[in-house]
Order: sequence, then C-alpha cells, then structure tokens
Amino acid sequence: MFGSAFAASNTVKIGNIIPLSGPSASVGIQGKQAREMAVREINAAGGIKSLGGAKLELIFADSKSEPTTGVTEAERLINSENVDILTGCWNSAVTYPTSQVAERYKIPFIVPVSVRDTITERGFEYIFRIAAKDSWWVRDQFSFLDDMQKEFDVDVKRVAFVYENGDWGTGFAEKWRKLAEDRGYDIVLDEPYPSTASDLTPVVIKLKRVNPDVVFLVSNASDAILLTNTIAEMDVNPKAIITSGGGHADPSFLEATGKNSEYMFDIVEWETDLNRPGLKETNAKFKKEYGQNLTGEAVDAYISMYLIKEALEKAGTTNPQKLKDVLRDINYCDGKAKMLAYDCINFDESGQNQNAMPVIVQVRERNGEMKRLTVWPKNVRHEGYTPVFPQPAK
Amino acid sequence: MISYVEALLNGILMGSIYGLAAVGLTLIFGVMKVINFAHGSVLMVGMFAAYWFVKLTGVNPYLSLFVVVPFMFFFGYFLQQFVIKPTFEAEKNVREPITVIIVTTGVWYILDNLALLLFGAEYRVVKTSVTGNIVEIFNMYFLLPKIIGFGVTVLVGIYFFWFLKYSKMGKAIRATSLDREAASLMGIKQSKIYNISFGLGCALCGVAGCILVPFYYVYPTVGVTFDIKSFIIVVLGGLGSISGAILGGIIVGVIETLGAQFMAATWTELLVYIVFLIVLFVRPSGLFGLKQDF
Repeated sequence: MFGSAFAASNTVKIGNIIPLSGPSASVGIQGKQAREMAVREINAAGGIKSLGGAKLELIFADSKSEPTTGVTEAERLINSENVDILTGCWNSAVTYPTSQVAERYKIPFIVPVSVRDTITERGFEYIFRIAAKDSWWVRDQFSFLDDMQKEFDVDVKRVAFVYENGDWGTGFAEKWRKLAEDRGYDIVLDEPYPSTASDLTPVVIKLKRVNPDVVFLVSNASDAILLTNTIAEMDVNPKAIITSGGGHADPSFLEATGKNSEYMFDIVEWETDLNRPGLKETNAKFKKEYGQNLTGEAVDAYISMYLIKEALEKAGTTNPQKLKDVLRDINYCDGKAKMLAYDCINFDESGQNQNAMPVIVQVRERNGEMKRLTVWPKNVRHEGYTPVFPQPAK
Repeated sequence: MISYVEALLNGILMGSIYGLAAVGLTLIFGVMKVINFAHGSVLMVGMFAAYWFVKLTGVNPYLSLFVVVPFMFFFGYFLQQFVIKPTFEAEKNVREPITVIIVTTGVWYILDNLALLLFGAEYRVVKTSVTGNIVEIFNMYFLLPKIIGFGVTVLVGIYFFWFLKYSKMGKAIRATSLDREAASLMGIKQSKIYNISFGLGCALCGVAGCILVPFYYVYPTVGVTFDIKSFIIVVLGGLGSISGAILGGIIVGVIETLGAQFMAATWTELLVYIVFLIVLFVRPSGLFGLKQDF
C-alpha cells in the first residue's frame, strides 16, 4: 500500500500506442513529438501538483497500424509496464480492439483521434475521445457542400466516393451513401481501393469515365499523394474534391503534390490559421523543434496530455476508477484547450467529446507555397479569403 | 470502350515496372537459390539513391542511372561479400539454407529502420523535368515517366537476356546456377559469381528506383508495396527466369488496372491471387520456369 503510493508520487506512466512504422508512421511520429513536447512542458512546470509534483512519463508502443499489434502492445503496457493511462491509436481499426483491452483491465484510455463512431458506442466506461466522430465529419462535409452551392449558386448533382478499404474509409462511405440519398444526389461511383496499392491509375480512369461533379475522398498519406497526382495528370476535372483529413492533412502531402492539390477542400479537426488564443505560440514552438507545423492530429495528441494532467490534478491519485470518474465530469477549458476550434472539452455519456467540431479548409497557392485556408464554417473563415468553387479546370 | 484500352495500356506500362523490380529477385534466386527477403528494401535504397541524386544535382532523372546503378551494384556486391556470404559458407552443405533467409530478413529490417532514422517517415517526391508530363493519344492519357520506364525496362530486359546468353560472365553465371559444383570445377570462382549476381540484382533495383522516382514517392517502407508483388511475379513467371519476371509483372499490372474497370479496386488484389493459383495449378514451375528441382 505504502509502496504503491510512494511510486505514484514519483511518476505517472502514460502508455501511447501509435503507428511509428508502417504506412501511417509519419502521422504517428507527429503525434509522438506533440506528446513529448506537452509532457516536457508539464514536467518543467512542476509536474502534477496534487500528486506531490509527480512527473509524467511517456511509454511508446509501435502499432505499425496493425490491430493485432495494437492489442498485444496494450496487454504488454498494462501488464508489464504497469501504465496508469493509455492513449492512441490514430488508426480506427487499431483503436477499436485496443480500447477493448483497456476497458477489460479498467484502464482509462484517451483517444485523441480515431474517428470511427463505434469506438465510443459500445457502452464502455473507460474510453474518452477528443476528436469528432466520423458521422459528424461526414454530416459537416455535406452541410458544407450545401452551403457552398447556395453561396456560389452552383448546382451539384453527381457525386463519386473513392475511399481506402479499411475501417475508416468504409465507415465514411456507409454514411456518405445515406446522406447522399437523403439529399437527392446521384452516386455515380462508389469505389473502395486498397491503401497499399502501388498504382491508382485504374481508379482514376474509372473516375474519368463517370465524370462526377464532386469527388469525396478518404485516403492515408501515400495513397492520397498518388491519387491527387494521378487525378491531376489524367485530366479529371470535377467541380470540387472534398477530402477527409488523414493523409490529406499530412504535411508531406502538400509538399509531394504541389500545384496538383490546389483548390481541394479538406475537413480537419484543426488548422494553423484558426484565430484562437495560444495557437500561434505553440505552433511556432513545435515548428522550431520539429520543422513542421502542427496538424489536427498532433494538436489533439498534445492537448490529450494536458487533459490527462488536468484529470490527475483533480483526482489527486492515479487510481484508474477515480481517474475515470474525474474524466467523465471534466470540463476542460483552460489555456491549452483554447487552441482548438471550440472552447472546452467535456464528454457525453458515451465518452465522446461533445464540443468537437471539424472545420473545412481549401488548399491554395500563396507566394509559391501551398497553404491551407479555413473556409467553413463561415464565421471562422480565413480573414479576407473567398473560396474558389467550382474549381477551375487544370 | 476507349477507357478500357487506356486501362489495358496503363496496366502494361505499370506492369513492366513491376516486372523490372522483380527481375533482381529472380536473378539472385536463380543463381544462389536464396530468396532475398530484403529485396523490397534494396529497391527502397535504390529509390532513395535516385531521389537524393536528382534532388541534390538537379540533373535529368534518367542520367542518375549512370551513378545510381553502379552504386547499387557495389552496394549489393559488398552486401553479399560481408553479410550474406559468411552465413552462406557456414551452411554450404545444407540443401535448403534457412539461416541465409533469416539474414536477408534481418537486412530488410536494418535497411528500413536505417532509412527511417536517416530520412524520417515523410513521403518525398522529387519534381523532375518529366514529372506530370502527359502523352495524349486518341483521348487516352499516359504518364510520360511511365512510358520512359517501359522503354528502359524493355532495353534492360533485352540487354540482360543478351548478357546472360552470350557474354562470358553471363555464361559463368548460368553455369553456376545450373550446377555450382561442376561450375567451380571448371574454374569459375563461385563466391565471385555470387557477389556479382547479388550486385546485379541490386543494380536492377537501382534501375527500377531511377524510373520510379520521377512519378512515385519515396519513404522508408516503400519496398513493402513492391515486395509481395515481386514474389508473386517471380513465382508466376517461373523462378529464375528473366523474361518470366517481366511478363509476370505485365500480367499483374494488367489484371490490376483492367480488372478494376469491372469491379471495385479492392478486389483486383484477390483476382491477382486467383490467376496466380491457376497458373501454379496448371504449370507448377511458373510460366517460363524450367521443370527442375530446386
């Protein structure tokens, strides 16, 4: 008893299961960097005061984007490393089974980003998600399309869905289909593809044949690059391309596609040009340390560390049961949460952050560099920017 | 109709590049009877070499062939000399050298992680003078770098065929692949032939790297994408057969591209495996494979 209390006052162990190798490694590494930066700041500022200045300690496990690896690593982190709390796993397909392990062992599990709805819809008590779930993303993609048609007086009829065939993509597609039917769009193409494909020309040829007004995409980084370049090269010219974050929000995406990505709309959790307090400073610090801007995923990972700090301060113990209870009632609105597009983080019955809200950006060239400018909702639109819709033929 | 022809031709273009990536694997297997599990990683090294050369010097990507290919040859030569050979010698009298396979797997992990350490996980694309250039024929679009890649593959394939059939070194390589003991009794230095074959296998990955870089991205685990494909292609075409590898590559490319016009792209992968199984069922040694016992 005394022993455990003593250990607890020393460090709080946070297990992080994220893809550090494999197809999603680049986003996993950004998440790792963001977590490390947050924990360095928290520890430098005196750690967890209610635990006698206990320091946070990060333990990373590489999921390689594989569900089975995620599950084994969760077991290892809980049983061998004795972590007090878990975070991860970015890939919905990994988070889904992995969070089940955490629930079984009753270890609080913070999900910064993984959008699949069902992650928080299983009646679990220990799972808390910061990001919006995919039905919200999809809903907002269509609301955005409606608003754009009104604003620019353009008619859209024929929509095409192209998505990676994993949990994430098929989850999005299922909801797109329903929304498209409800709103009277014609679905002219509904195409899953393997995200490890070495050539996406076949999919693009199909897209060219059906010639849709709007293309909806869900892609990881490598296939996002391949698809975008191939769409531009094969001369496919829809009125708009609406993407779903993930690979399209990856910093290397703009670098690798250049002009080919201009005018694309991307839905994201967060963007560097949002007019929010504390955002510029934190982003500048991150960029100085790691050479890249923060991404939505990185920000959620960063803020999840502050959320954990807040919960620990309130709980005054690392007891998982207490920690879970504190997280259930938390209303985290302090300085760091202000960086998000919304004001506070608090969780509903299912463990879903009720305030999470995506924004939509458009990619434009500014002084020879590709930039992401926020366009929707209109009240947070990048100052002085008018979106381009429909996009001009390239 | 036209989009099906477009799909077919694009499949041939991409497939030829798959084939080229697989030739190195089949060559090394043909000579050494070793399945090089690090093959995808060697391709990745070739791609990074081409990437950096083009990025730093800004020269035409196809000129990088003259630097990257020799570099990759020596890379393979010394990899075999210092890493593969010692295990190979230790297992000289074993019919199926297992440790060598494990060693190549180790090389795979080391190369991938070394690249991750040195270059980071991000996706890199180098903009070259041919990147994004399109050739339009009858309203069909083809990527210029893929057409050039196809041309290079055909030239390299023909040259390789000639080299193995008529040159002295090619004959020595073939002799070693047919019967290593008899070949060494004829005065062919076996370990040297192994070094050269491994070097050539890697040099071919260098060629593939140079023709991929103008339109494809590079990252540390990019090899995995081509790895499994290469294994299928090599078995489909017949282990050890150069023309089989190129034809196998084209078959896979065409199935993927043309197949996707009739079904969701997800299922073409399955289709590739089905064709693969049918070929193995009808011709167990592959399309161009010799009926020999490996």
